[in-house]
Amino acid sequence: MSAPDGSGAPARSTDPPLDPRGVRFAAGLTTVVLALVLVSGSGWLAAAQALVFAAGAFAGMRFAPYGVLYRLAVAPRLGPPAEREAAAPVRFSQTVGFVFATVGAVGYLSGLTVLGIVATAFALVAAFLNAAFGFCLGCEMYGLLARARAARA
Amino acid sequence: MSGTGLVVLLAALALATAVGLVLRARNGRVRTTTGAGSPDGWALTGAAPDGAEQVLLLQLSSPVCTPCRQTAGVLGELAATEPGVRHVEIDVADRPDVARALSVMRTPTTIGFDRAGRELLRVSGVPRRAELDAALAPELRGRPA
Repeated sequence: MSAPDGSGAPARSTDPPLDPRGVRFAAGLTTVVLALVLVSGSGWLAAAQALVFAAGAFAGMRFAPYGVLYRLAVAPRLGPPAEREAAAPVRFSQTVGFVFATVGAVGYLSGLTVLGIVATAFALVAAFLNAAFGFCLGCEMYGLLARARAARA
Repeated sequence: MSGTGLVVLLAALALATAVGLVLRARNGRVRTTTGAGSPDGWALTGAAPDGAEQVLLLQLSSPVCTPCRQTAGVLGELAATEPGVRHVEIDVADRPDVARALSVMRTPTTIGFDRAGRELLRVSGVPRRAELDAALAPELRGRPA
């Protein structure tokens, strides 16, 4: 029996904790949108998804559009979550998604279609892993980066 | 319509499904490890076994990690009811040296050590309690140290 050593550490983000079901709902919508990007080859749709990622990544998870949709349309039909998860790793994963969706949009719109397809496919794999298995690649990266920062400090 | 895009979509979904199934199968499973040459967990954490303690369950966590809290719940309960088990949780942000010494990349990872500090088992993710109990049973039945 013991307490974690870092229990008193201040939170790095002001975002309130998230309903994990909402996170997976958002990942599911993201998967569908990215699948449509691959099938249609639409750079503008990829750009729209990049904006969705940007809202969560830069304004905060409260403003993430799919999260707002979940809170308004889905959450009221469900009971309260059994537990909540920290927002910071999820927010970081939105930043990673933003980078991939932006590269994908630039690729499609500039005629570098292969770049568009590859970047979109990477983002889709990550979103699908989160939606279907609850495994958040970006959150794993966040953990490793936080460790690397701590090791340097 | 993009034929290439459709092929890539199906390939990406197949790949992600395969990766997801592997991760799910591994998650929480208790893997017995030989521990040859691995460092002594008691020494790494500065803990020493008390009289009855046969096993150290060293949990490596990070500050923002929901499964780490669930793992702490499972292991804390085990340690509270089983006097032979000591549970120590460390934050890899505070002690990256421990994570490095034990080659741990993911949190939560739980590593079991016997009284002599030899590594017994590893669990990535929230441990499956029944598997953990079964893996620890030989140690806790008072095997000569």
